Amino acid sequence: MTTEDSIGEGEYAINLSYPGFDLGEAKKDVISGPGTYIFNGRIRSALAGVINEYEDEKTKAKTISVVSPKAPSIVPKTGNKITARVTSVNARLVQCQILCVEDFVMSRPYRGILRKEDIRLLDKDKIDPYKCYRPGDIILAKILPMREMHCYYLTTAENELGVVICTAEGSPQGIHMVPISWSEMQCPKTLVKESRKVARVIPETINRSFVLATPGEDEKTGLENTKTD
Amino acid sequence: MPGPELLSSQGLRLDGRRPDELRRIRCKLGVFTQPDGSAYLEQGNTKVLAAVYGPHQAAKSKLSTEGVVVNCQYSMATFSTSERKNRPRGDRKSQEMSLHLRQALSAAIKTELYPRSQIDIYVEVLQADGGAYCASVNAATLALIDAGVPLKAYACACTSSVAWRGNHPEALLDVGHVEEAAGGVCLTVAALPSVDSIALLEMSHRLHMDYFEVVMSRAMQGCKDIEIILDKAVREHLAEGWTKPDVITI
Repeated sequence: MTTEDSIGEGEYAINLSYPGFDLGEAKKDVISGPGTYIFNGRIRSALAGVINEYEDEKTKAKTISVVSPKAPSIVPKTGNKITARVTSVNARLVQCQILCVEDFVMSRPYRGILRKEDIRLLDKDKIDPYKCYRPGDIILAKILPMREMHCYYLTTAENELGVVICTAEGSPQGIHMVPISWSEMQCPKTLVKESRKVARVIPETINRSFVLATPGEDEKTGLENTKTD
Repeated sequence: MPGPELLSSQGLRLDGRRPDELRRIRCKLGVFTQPDGSAYLEQGNTKVLAAVYGPHQAAKSKLSTEGVVVNCQYSMATFSTSERKNRPRGDRKSQEMSLHLRQALSAAIKTELYPRSQIDIYVEVLQADGGAYCASVNAATLALIDAGVPLKAYACACTSSVAWRGNHPEALLDVGHVEEAAGGVCLTVAALPSVDSIALLEMSHRLHMDYFEVVMSRAMQGCKDIEIILDKAVREHLAEGWTKPDVITI
């Protein structure tokens, strides 16, 4: 299966590839990227999609990867920073649905468990999970090394991990609470204060369009939207 | 031993094909919207539907840390055979076919990329006219490609049998139901032609070792030809479906 297939002409040509398609020889400066694998010294495609060649300026190494229109979901690995939605809270643990891994959105949510002892570093025995997370909160967490087989164990025992987006009880939908301290958040509409384990997200990295309910607030707070999509 | 009626004096088979001719294969990818990937394949009169649910979190009982668990379910519709079958799921033949499907497809999927996950493959045979397993493997390969699951190569399957022309054997490619029922030997090969490897090899009845090479090489050639046909269908599907946007909502 080595016949080329391309759509378009010249610089707009897209090269299509199929599983098992031979993409070239695997040399020192030709790396196999995602969507490809090496067999018998040759790089072959593992997906049906478009061939992308990326040349790294510093090392002059060419990375060949294949991008598929139906992107398969990736698997969360130990140490990845993930975004999750809390589904249920009880006295021992917090259950969540893993929505995104680093920058990738999962097409199917995976289940994650945040144990009481992994919520924060200090005062581990006096934590009440209900005062840190509530169902419906969007949190940032890290994946712990695998302990039990059937679900991912998470931790929020760092300053930048914790609740990012949440709504107060009784507040109308879409009004997100604003952090007051590392353990409290306040709803801007009803002025109700609730305790949460707040994530200390560095302001320059916030993409304000996700966090704000009304788009006009950017001018009031004066924060620059420096993160580009 | 198969009787001479499998091959006429002009060298034509019972359905008019030449010994090295495949049945007509028509296939389409992406026939359903609900599963991650789906495909419909016709091989002669055998019609098969395949649906794939891409890597998701595995059920507690089925986890494996080494790679993805491939879960196959093979079932035949009640109206698929000439006699109406009342137990389409869970019977011994379906379970055996499911295991064979799993063996062939696990060889093709890059399982090490998705530890602790599960891929579900559902195959439904709508009309069985011989070679239902082969059509299932081919349809499942197309459905996996449609779902975006990384594969080492296409997994193709083909059957072959042997008939006697005078005193020397002539291998018949892609056995139909009538030829199978005539009592001849039937060799099923599921292979990855691009990387020259065989995933599954199965034979009913007995065949003398001297004739095995002839039958085997014809089946392998059949797999290579099927791969070309599947590849063409995938190219057409990619070329026409490229501009569809992918919408993911949380």
